[in-house]
Amino acid sequence: MRRWSAALAVAAVVLAAGCSSGGGDGDGAASGEPVKLRFLSLAWQKESITANKQLVDEWNKANPKIQVEYVQGSWDNVNDQLVTSFEAGDAPDVIHDDSPALSGFAARGFLLDLSSSLPSELKSDIPQAAWDTVTFGDGKGGQGVYGVPFLQESQVLYANKKLLDASGARMPTPDEPWTWDEFAEATKKMTKSGAYGVAWPMKSPVNKVLTLGLNFGGTFFTTEGGKTRVKVGAEEREVLSRIHDQLYKDKSADPSALGMGTADPLPGFFGGKYAIVPAGVYLRQQVAEQAPDGFEWVTLPPLKGVTAEQGATSQTLSVAADSKHAQEAVKFISFFLNGPNQAKLAKGDWLLPTSTSAAADPAMTQKENFWDVATASAKNLVVAPYLKVDGYDEWKSKVATPALQEYFADKISLDEVAKRLVEEGDKVLERYGR
Amino acid sequence: MTLTAARPAGTRRRPARSRSGGRETFLLLLPALVPVLVLSVGPLLYGILLAFTDARSGRNTETSFVGLANFGDLLADGDFWESFRIGMVWAVSVTVLQFLASLGLALLLNQDLRLRGFARVLALVPWAMPPVVIGLMWRLVYHPDAGILNAVLGTDVDWLNDFSVALPAVILVGVWMGMPQTTVVLLAGLQNVPKELYEAAGVDGAGVWRRFWNITLPQLRPVIVAITSLDFVWNINQFSLVYVLTQGGPGGRTRLPMLFAYEEAFRYGFFGYAATLGVAITIVVLAVLGLYLWRQMREAD
Repeated sequence: MRRWSAALAVAAVVLAAGCSSGGGDGDGAASGEPVKLRFLSLAWQKESITANKQLVDEWNKANPKIQVEYVQGSWDNVNDQLVTSFEAGDAPDVIHDDSPALSGFAARGFLLDLSSSLPSELKSDIPQAAWDTVTFGDGKGGQGVYGVPFLQESQVLYANKKLLDASGARMPTPDEPWTWDEFAEATKKMTKSGAYGVAWPMKSPVNKVLTLGLNFGGTFFTTEGGKTRVKVGAEEREVLSRIHDQLYKDKSADPSALGMGTADPLPGFFGGKYAIVPAGVYLRQQVAEQAPDGFEWVTLPPLKGVTAEQGATSQTLSVAADSKHAQEAVKFISFFLNGPNQAKLAKGDWLLPTSTSAAADPAMTQKENFWDVATASAKNLVVAPYLKVDGYDEWKSKVATPALQEYFADKISLDEVAKRLVEEGDKVLERYGR
Repeated sequence: MTLTAARPAGTRRRPARSRSGGRETFLLLLPALVPVLVLSVGPLLYGILLAFTDARSGRNTETSFVGLANFGDLLADGDFWESFRIGMVWAVSVTVLQFLASLGLALLLNQDLRLRGFARVLALVPWAMPPVVIGLMWRLVYHPDAGILNAVLGTDVDWLNDFSVALPAVILVGVWMGMPQTTVVLLAGLQNVPKELYEAAGVDGAGVWRRFWNITLPQLRPVIVAITSLDFVWNINQFSLVYVLTQGGPGGRTRLPMLFAYEEAFRYGFFGYAATLGVAITIVVLAVLGLYLWRQMREAD
């Protein structure tokens, strides 16, 4: 029966034609030829691709015996691509992905458990909270570490400085961030004819809502007796209803921004149409580069509900279980993600490094482009419960995305959205529990 | 010597010879048959077989036969039937609109226009483009800020992300993409309509509309039946265009059945269930098509 899925996978690969082949000369090392590793990178910002390629070149020069080939992938379809190449046994040796995707791959046995093979200096350089985002069940009752977390993202606010000053709202600091109430007040004050206090780009609402939900202790999932269920109680409803209120009660948020992707409100932000845009720290790059001359902007620290906690998802590097050169792959990862290199990668992607030594790099705490605010927000990151849910991806795309989009478009009520998330969600999760 | 001796025997044993001829024919066919069997029939049977198992993605999964359990799940799967409904809306409206638009275009190109050859080539251009390129091109056309459509209409609509506009917007692209084939086939059909019929009708004093209704359409009928049924099959099986344009979004409003099956297999890893979806779609398409062709045949008699 196992052979079946292999045959299907071969057919699938022929169909998908998305995966490169070859490069697997298994006994190359023994015969003195260099070992060849393929490294699937998902870097997409120009600076980040440059940083990645530079590090690969540096490694290749220093290690003639282990040659790494840089393979460009894309976030849009990486997981589809990986499913086919894993099934075909032809996955890249070193895989760049993010922690939400790892749980499913780990449970299916596609990834190598790194817990025993990582060097101790890398282990101790990255705090336990980050390791927790890549620790998953192996599908056979055990636990393992299935990737090395290296870049993290937190949700901050981008504000138009002129409008913010004019509103008279208190300037928040990392030690004393705005509460959601203060945020609602400030956006109300900044809403004038033709200008909105805030734009919520909600094209992909689920991760945003789930990570901010933790501000009020909303976990969205509970596990009892080994069975995971969706939960939408009072805590989960806080952020949902607060955003909804801004849209339809305070009318301080622009409903026409709802269909936008994260970077889409920027033209409106630069034009003074939106005073505040909530987004991940990486958006600083686009803001800094695209802002017109004379446009003053600030990065505000994450909002606080009961806590300022947000769900951490990390970008990760993993090793394929089928890799013929796992040891070499781990060596490469250890080099690629050491402190100084993480600082380079973080700078390239405008994200937060997990490495404590990289976070101490002066470049990570400078005032320019609000690196200090961004880096300070890393302390709010905790492991989001949804990371560990098998079937989260299907729940997200089939149930949660449409339900949340309809809720924010004011087509269904809070009770209805809660009911759908739970009832349809439990049905989805049941398939994975079988 | 042997030749002359064999001849009378050969004439008597004609059935035997033709049997051995059959074997030769089979041998000659083999090079053509093998690829068909290996690349087409084999995977098809394998897919059908898979539909009765619980095959899942994973290194340490075990696959076993589950009988009709997948089909039971399918009947209860509201998401799939919603996707199937969208697929039917898509396939029927694309096929109908495609047919109407192509018929108009074919009639136009059949006229004795200036630069007719050039116009005919132009009408074929979309055919030369792969669906992925068409998808990318139209994504630019529909882009909310930089798109030409909003610029021309002076609107501010996010065509591909609006819950109510996305499906019609995608249907429009589908119509545009499929028009060349349909136009060419209809044009060929139009050129086969005997001129004498029009002349005779003209003598009887029939107007343009009358001639179209009573001569052109009945004469085209076999062509119309053939091309609309082919279009319907192509359209319901459409994947790449929607995958590039919307990936099934917003909120599943453009998730065609094929896209749904793809996601089941390659996103969530349920290979067995995805195969069931494929089989079910095939059965339903065959049923719809059979009904349509049967009615057309009966009316033609």
